[in-house]
Amino acid sequence: MSPLAQRIVRRSSMFVVALLFVAALWELYKVVGPEDGGALLGINILPRSNDRAMPHIWDMLSRYNRPELRSSERKIWRVVLAGAWFSFRLSLVGFAIGTTVGVLLATLMARFKVVERGLLPYLVVSQTVPLIALAPLVVSWGGKLEVFGYEWPRWLSASVLGAFLAFFPVAVGTLRGLSSANHASLELMDSYAASWTQTLFRLRFPSAIPFMVPAFKLAASASVIGVVVAEISTGLKGGIGRLIIEYAREATGDPAKVFTAVFGAALLGLAMAGLVAAFDLYVMRNRPKEAT
Amino acid sequence: MSTVNVSNLNKIFNKGQTNQVDALVDVSLSVEQGEFVSLIGPSGCGKSTLLRLIANLLEPTSGDVVVAGKSAKQARLDQDYGMAFQQAGLFDWRTVSKNIELPLELKGWDKTKREARAKEMLDLVKLPEFSGHFPWQLSGGMQQRVAIARALAAHPPLLLMDEPFGALDEMTREHMQAELLSICAKTGTTVVFVTHSIPEAVYLSNRVVVMSPRPGRITKIVDVKLDGQRNESTRERPEFFAAITSVREALRAGGGHAHAGAGVEDR
Repeated sequence: MSPLAQRIVRRSSMFVVALLFVAALWELYKVVGPEDGGALLGINILPRSNDRAMPHIWDMLSRYNRPELRSSERKIWRVVLAGAWFSFRLSLVGFAIGTTVGVLLATLMARFKVVERGLLPYLVVSQTVPLIALAPLVVSWGGKLEVFGYEWPRWLSASVLGAFLAFFPVAVGTLRGLSSANHASLELMDSYAASWTQTLFRLRFPSAIPFMVPAFKLAASASVIGVVVAEISTGLKGGIGRLIIEYAREATGDPAKVFTAVFGAALLGLAMAGLVAAFDLYVMRNRPKEAT
Repeated sequence: MSTVNVSNLNKIFNKGQTNQVDALVDVSLSVEQGEFVSLIGPSGCGKSTLLRLIANLLEPTSGDVVVAGKSAKQARLDQDYGMAFQQAGLFDWRTVSKNIELPLELKGWDKTKREARAKEMLDLVKLPEFSGHFPWQLSGGMQQRVAIARALAAHPPLLLMDEPFGALDEMTREHMQAELLSICAKTGTTVVFVTHSIPEAVYLSNRVVVMSPRPGRITKIVDVKLDGQRNESTRERPEFFAAITSVREALRAGGGHAHAGAGVEDR
């Protein structure tokens, strides 16, 4: 087996083991934890372990194979999968916009120190704005916008919010990466009288890759969070975020249901992370192995 | 015509500030076509600064640098010299071949021409079978050969080297010195070579320029009179030792302080 295949097998089996471990913990707590919650040292922090608050793992899993509603025929796993797929596409669009903007900003900041000094503090501030507050605002702008004759679709607002969270790690990571090129290599490019763009594409970006990949990983999960939160706070139909709030309302009667959607959201995050991991393997395939 | 002509060159860092450093004071030097000239001296004597002024990676405070009959800047723009550093400085993400092609790419050569030249250069440095390898798969000596091939890829008339063999072990180092001489003999390249090592300077050079620090200046230029082809037996000839002695004495005389020649290796 190739080293790459070995690594993939090892990582996936570790992942499965970790999942089983968490599931075992969950069930263990259901056995030993107090039914109606409890206090520890006088503080009410022990969660309730009854079936309404913490359904059994097998109840959650078997819920997937039953219909979403009593009136419908569609099994819930189909609904959740469709929702996750919808949100996945929105996240992908958000991730694409976010990374593009992030990389462009970083390049601009690397080129002009003035821009870095002027812009960076605002980028940091931008991330402190609560997404929940921003979401309805962006959606309401969206309804009034027309871009090149096309009406701004509602789902694009959710993607934009994903992008809003995703661009920041990319901008910061890429900026660090672009300035990580070593001095001797820069001197070498100078000795060839290379232009700034030639140096950018032949030296600075390739040396930035090891910094950009972790930033992309953060951006991937950030874009998922942005999209799901936007779906929840604006009630956008079709995505996993909407399913989560809908199912959460039925938590008393059907406690396992909301977990099916939560796992759907987790799956969505995993898919995005997997995409970036594949990108990582691809761009780093010819680099020295200790760098990975 | 001399390939490099440096006249009355001064370089002062942080001029007018408390940490002012007189890196070079009134340095004049001319290097003839096809000549091999080494710059030697203790740390802080300005030998690397002089090399960077010739390369136009630094601007002189005053004085003139003429390279290949042009201003240093024009020579840099025209890629009239190639450069090699102590660290081979190959790009990890490029194959050996692509590394050698880098200066040609920047000059706008087309692909077939570039590949043909890279192959020619790999033959020259005796690494023809490594074109598809990545730099980190090569030993230090091999990496340095690739760096030399890259420096010479555009067939520049001048090669500037800043302690290129400083990080190599002794055996590889002597081997690389012989290789470098044979490459220069084949290509007729003029070389300015910065080193810490007296035997290295003597073995390679037609002239050894001895420099001293505070302020950086040229104290003596030693002519090395080793006739004919230099090879391993050159290192055992009396003329070789005579030249080493005169360089060492020049270094001591030039220092003018207790630890004259500190930082210069005897190996």
